[in-house]
This record gives sequence, structure tokens and C-alpha cells, in this order.
Amino acid sequence: MSAPVTAGAVDAPAATGQDPSAGRTPPVRVRRRRRDRLRRDWPLLAMTAPAAALLLVFHYLPTLGNVIAFQDYNPFVGDDPVEAFWHSEWIGFGNFEALFGDPLFWDAVRNTLTITAFQLVFFFPLPILLAVLLNSLVSARLRGFVQSVVYLPHFFSWVLVVTFFVQMLGGAGLLAQEMREAGMRPFDVMTNPDTFIVLVTAEAVWKDIGWGAIVFLAALAAIDPNLYEAAAADGAGRWRRLWHITLPGLRPVIVLLLIMRLGDALSVGFEQFILQREAVGREAAEVLDTFVYHQAISTQQWGLGAAAGLFKAVVGLVLILTANKVAHRLGEQGVYAKS
Amino acid sequence: MQPSPPGASTDRRSLLRLLGLGAAATVGATTLAGCSKEAGSRGSATKADAIRSVLPTHKPAELLKPDIPGEGPIPDGYLSYPRTLVDAVTEQPGRGGPPIRTMSPWWGPAPPTVGRNSYLAAVNARLGVEVDPSLQDGTTYADKLNAMLGARDVPELLSAPNWEVDKVARFSDAVRALFEDLTEHLKGDAAAKYPYLAALPTGAWEYSVWGGRLYAVPFPTDGPFAYALFHRADLLARAGLTAPKSPEELHELGRQVTDPAKGVWAFGSVFEMVQQFFGCQQTWRRKPDGGLEHKFENPAFAAALEFTAKLFADGLVHPDTVASKGADEKQLFKAGKILMYQDGLGAWQGMQGERVKELPSFDMQPLPVFGAAGAQPVIWGSEKPVFYTFVRKGLGAERVDELLRVLNWCAAPFGSREFELREYGVEGRHFTRSADGSPVPTELGRKELGAQYTHIGGRVPVKVRSGDTPDYVRDYLGYYQKNIALMEKDLFAGIKLELPANWSKIIQPTDDKIRDILRGRRPVGDLAQVRKEFLAAGGEEGRAFHEKALADNGR
Repeated sequence: MSAPVTAGAVDAPAATGQDPSAGRTPPVRVRRRRRDRLRRDWPLLAMTAPAAALLLVFHYLPTLGNVIAFQDYNPFVGDDPVEAFWHSEWIGFGNFEALFGDPLFWDAVRNTLTITAFQLVFFFPLPILLAVLLNSLVSARLRGFVQSVVYLPHFFSWVLVVTFFVQMLGGAGLLAQEMREAGMRPFDVMTNPDTFIVLVTAEAVWKDIGWGAIVFLAALAAIDPNLYEAAAADGAGRWRRLWHITLPGLRPVIVLLLIMRLGDALSVGFEQFILQREAVGREAAEVLDTFVYHQAISTQQWGLGAAAGLFKAVVGLVLILTANKVAHRLGEQGVYAKS
Repeated sequence: MQPSPPGASTDRRSLLRLLGLGAAATVGATTLAGCSKEAGSRGSATKADAIRSVLPTHKPAELLKPDIPGEGPIPDGYLSYPRTLVDAVTEQPGRGGPPIRTMSPWWGPAPPTVGRNSYLAAVNARLGVEVDPSLQDGTTYADKLNAMLGARDVPELLSAPNWEVDKVARFSDAVRALFEDLTEHLKGDAAAKYPYLAALPTGAWEYSVWGGRLYAVPFPTDGPFAYALFHRADLLARAGLTAPKSPEELHELGRQVTDPAKGVWAFGSVFEMVQQFFGCQQTWRRKPDGGLEHKFENPAFAAALEFTAKLFADGLVHPDTVASKGADEKQLFKAGKILMYQDGLGAWQGMQGERVKELPSFDMQPLPVFGAAGAQPVIWGSEKPVFYTFVRKGLGAERVDELLRVLNWCAAPFGSREFELREYGVEGRHFTRSADGSPVPTELGRKELGAQYTHIGGRVPVKVRSGDTPDYVRDYLGYYQKNIALMEKDLFAGIKLELPANWSKIIQPTDDKIRDILRGRRPVGDLAQVRKEFLAAGGEEGRAFHEKALADNGR
């Protein structure tokens, strides 16, 4: 077959892979020739090409840099930056050995997973509740107002959020000063390592609950209002409608986000923890990302940092694949369709 | 904040390939030992003899007699601005070469760039060559610097703060690969060609040597002390209290002024200063037998730790300092919410000048240094320069000469027209003259100046009296003169240390443990355990490394 060698053809595999409508088009019975397809689809390919190129240059290409996980990487050997990769010493699994042999690393992993599990239970469902609540508001104006107010904190940096909590709940904060004036002994939630996990979750909820609700609101808007009317006509109350219409309507989105969150199980944030580390100590606040920062970035062991990054990505991948498989078993669509 | 760890963003396809490798790695260290090596540097040190032989011959260039002469690392003080200025540079430095790209740090709004900046135009006209500065935000300078060095794309003149240089991995490799060896241009009497560079203190030049060669022009520090413990002298006086003279008095004072109901606490961060009051070294101290003692092994450290932990336990430290790394102690101090905190002496003049406009009685002063019972206090410090200016490699001797002549112009001393133009701009445009003759910046001056030439040129530091902080020069130099004898000599001055990886790695975990003790999460008695773990995990390796560095240098 003489495939025409054009820019479009080179981009084709990557581009069609990115095309979200590809999976949904009905199967074409007659196998078209590539040239015909190209003639038909070239505008789509042209539209996808810039995004694909960006992905290629800024995601796929830098991924090759992961080789430094197997090197004692030195960015200044050789005559140019690319040569530095070839001239750095290969040390096999030395970085991974150092990583897995470090008890501090496993402390960090344990903390990270604990926080993820805790937030899965106490954070993940809250945006869903908020979305259902907002959706039940009749006044579109009020809904818009509340939605803006609750999602704005998402755009605050963690420095601001932590400062805000310190100013409100810290030992010299608003609450403590009010309590002192009332003759009570203030309690300090900001420096207690035992309740730190609750504190960081509360901060995360305050910051991101509104933002997290957006996607659920969109899903709610897609539910056919006729279903509610029919159910109401059949005598279904508020709770029955929630249970039998709203939640099933949200289920694909919930499952999708749950799987994505599991894939990110080893990331719980960085700045939030590094900012509050001194307040509660390493044992409570060390997570994987802060471990990498202190033990690999600050000490300039790039290879070690890359090894930790690879470990994180591998664990994330395994979790995503597993969760997706489980979702398929349960009859859900998951992140991507069953092939 | 800081960049996210490298390698954190990966994609599915490459991971599938790597999955097998990752799984293999988790199997166990023993099976892998055969095919892997340990990463990380074992450390290296440059010899001090090699350093001395490449330094420029020091030749002071003093245009004006100082009112308070400096001594060693203490800068000269001037109590009035000179009425007549002299020309320091008679020959135009530029040789008509192409524009010179520079990069230097700046903490503030970015001034307009060349072509839209009359200050740059005025100075460039005097230089006879166009300098095209790129100012980068000082707080995130390391991000830019790391990327630039990694890509090996550096400007012709690059100014790098010493604390950022310390963060760059294998900086000595970077220096050799990217920057011009200035030894032949500046060694010994060759420096006489650039008289104002030759006037920079030798103590600062010593730190500009990598691998036995001179690679940078230093920007000397205007005072070698690392910290002072600032206190609000105005508030203490109003409360009828006097500065404490012992740790016990300090604790008692803290108890007297702390009033949570009013939102006032005595202390911000003080631990480093307390260590100095107790006579504890910054890191290493020479033992009588010639070996090195780490500060954890010094009983003075244990005493300082116990004392400071008690300040925390008694609730005398501001809760913001306890709760967050981001606590803005400067703000708390200015507002009178804390009465004492430690800071670099560089914070002094700016804060005093700014705050006294709103609160005329505002008076911040470093607490007079005192010792614990039976102990001599020490002061930590070194002559390490603030910035280094590097020249890009491979420009040719002629161009390097032109660049050094420009740097020489930028280093012109106090009392010269060049100094005034560099520091304040053009009279009438960028500054006006107050009654005592000293320049007062105009709006345009504030907007267009960003130390574009100062930060690259070194300059001999001086302290000059200004109207808004009339007592500052006397107070500042007085504090130095009174305490300079207490400064503990830097054992490693001039030796470029690249520390072993195991040593760097143990710093943070140990710091965490010490902090746990300070904040009362662990008992003070745990220090023995912390010390043992520290020495076992990298501390002894660090000691051997440092001892060898000293021995190699015959110290």
C-alpha cells in the first residue's frame, strides 16, 4: 500500500488516539482505504495536531529524562545538556536501593497512604453532596452566588490557605483571642500532630469543595428532568428520587473520579505539608513529595528524585488499572472502555 | 514555592515498559546489589594554598576619609554625604563591543528594560557600551538559575547569590563548563589594571575560587554576622524594662512582656541566637586534640536547646511562629506583636526607615550580646560574599577585558560621581538633593533603578548616614565593633567544600528531630539519642571529611 507521506499521515496515529469521538462513531462496515479516510478527516487531524505536538514535546519527550533514575546524574558533564545524559555514570538500581532501604521513605509512603485513605472517606463524597445541594436550589441566582463563593478558594495558594487557618484557628488567631476574652482556655488545633490529618483534610475541603462540585453539577444537569417528573408522579419522595435517579445518574462520573483519585494515591499535595511541617513535626507531616524534596532535591540527588517519581507513577498506574478492572467487573464504564 | 520533583510527570506508555523494571527493583536489595552502585558525591575540597596564589593583590582605593573607619570585614561609616564628588574612572570602559547581556537578582517590582529606561540609558552612555540587564525575582532565583545552567545558556555576566550557588548540584562542574577562568586577568598584580576590583577585600575574593582557579568577582558582605537578636527598644523602655544580661533575665523579661490577651508575645524565632549566647559553635569547632567537635557534642548546645524549649513550653513564643513556617515575623515585630526575633542585620535599616515614618518612636536595636553563666558567647559569621559575578566562557581575552573594565566602573567607591550615578541615577531626574546634600530618590528613580549595575560590580561596602535613619550608621558599626572579637573564626574560610551526599542527607531529618524537642514533642533528654543517630547516619562521615579538608590545608 502506498500511503501518502504527509504531515497529516505522520500525525494520524497519535491524533486519532486523541479524538474523543473516535470510540463513539458507529463501526464502518466497509473498510475504507486510508487515503479516503485522510481526505475525509484531514480537518480533524489538523485541529488535533497542535495538541498532539504539545503533548509530544512537553510530555512524551521529557519522559525520556527518566533514565536519570538509573544514573548518578551530573548535568554538567559532556559538551551540551544532551551529552550529560550519556556521560553521567550508570549505576543500575542504586537509586532505587537507596530509596527502598530508607526507613524515612516508608514512613512517608505510610503517611501519604493514610491521608489518601482518610480523604477518600471524608473529603471525596463532600463535593457530591454539595453539588446535589446546590442543584436543589431553585433560584439560579442564589445558586450561582453560592457556587462562586465556594469555588473561589480553589484559586488561593496554599500559603494563603494555611495563613488563613492560622489567623482563624491558631494560637493568636481570631477564635483563640475571642475565647481568651471570654475567659476560656483556647485550644490549638494548628500544632497538634494527633489531629493533623483532620486539619489538612479540613483545609483541603475548604479550598477545593466548590471546585470539585463543578463536574458533578455538570453531570446533574445532564439528567433528564422527565425522570424526576415521572417518579414524582408515581409518588416517589425526595429521598427516593435522590437514591433512584440522582445518584445512578452521577455514578459514571463518581466512578471515573474515584479511579483517577486512586491513581493519584501517592500525591496528597506538597506545599500544604511543607508549610505546616514545623508545627506538627516530621512524623505527622512527612508525605512522599516532601520526602523527595528534602532527601533528593535539597541534597541534589536528581537520580533519587527520579526514582521516587517512577515509583509513584508505577504504583499509580497499577492502582488505576486495578480500579478500572474492578469497575468493569461491576458493570461500570471506568476511565476507558473495555476493549 | 519550589518546583515539583523531576520525573513526577510520566505517561502511561513509558510506564508500561518500566513496569517490569520497577517490579524487579522492589524484589529486594540483595538480588540487585551485584548490578548497582551507590549514587551521590563523596565530597571534595579545594586547597587553600591553591586559592591564595590566584588572588588579586589587594590595593585599597579610598576617595574619602571615613568618619568611622572600618576594620577587617567591618565596612567604613560616613556620617555625612560629600559635597564634592570626584571622577573615579577617567577612561571610558566600553570598547564599542556588542551589547552586554547580564542577569542579576532583584527583590521588588521589575524596572523597565533597556530602551524604556532613562537610568540605563544614562549609565550606558557613560560606559560606552550597552549593558542590557535582565533582572529576575530574587525569591525564585534558584529556579531560573538551575534551568539556565542545565541548558547551558548563560548571559555574558551572571550574578548569583551565594545561597543559591550552594543549592546548585555539582556547581564546580558547572563553573568549569560554563564560565571563564579569570585567573590570568586578575591574579596578583594583574588586577591593578582594574583598580576598584583590586580594592575589594581579599576575604571576599577567597570565596571566588573553584578548583584552584579564580572564576568570579565577589560582591562583599557589608557585615559578616549571620544574625542579630532584634528587640523593640522603644516598647521595652515604655514598659520600664531594660535589656537582659543573662539567659535567666531574658526568660524573665519574656514572662513580663507576654500578654496573650492583648495578642502580644515576647519572642519570634530565637534559637540560633540563643545558641550563640550559650557559646555554641555554628557547626564545627576545633578540639584541643586537633579533631573536630560537632555542636551536638557541645554541652552548650544541650543547654541552649533546653532553654529555648522552655520558652516554647511556657508559651512565650508567638503562636504564628509555632504554627507555620510562613509566619511573617517582620510584620509581627513591626506591629509590636512580638518584641524580639532574630534576623540578618541587613533587615535593620530598611525596617527602621520604613516604620519610623508611621511611628516616630519606633526603635529596633540588636540586643546586646551576653553569655550564659560561666560561658563566653560567640557570634557566627563569615566573610562569604553576598553575590558572585561570573563571565561566560569562550568570549575571547579582549571581550573579557572589556567586561572587567565595565565591572571595574560598577565597583567605583563612595565619594565618586560613578558611585552616585550607579546608586541614585541622574540628579534632578532620579533623585533630588536634600538639605544635607544626600540624594533622595524620586518616583522615577524608584521605578527605574534595580541595582542593575551594583549587583554585578562588587563595590567596597560602606555605611552612609541617611535622614530617615539618623542613628543607624553609628548603631550598626558600634554593634559590630563591640562584638567582632566574639566572632568565631570560620575554620574553612576560603576552602571550597562540596559536601558528601550522606552528610547533606542527614541534615533535614536531624533538624526535624531537634525541632520536635524544641516544640516539646520529644523530651530534651532525647538529644543523646538524636546525636547518636546523627553521627551514625552521616555525621561521622561528615566529621572525617571536614577533618581531612583541614589537614590537607595544613590547618
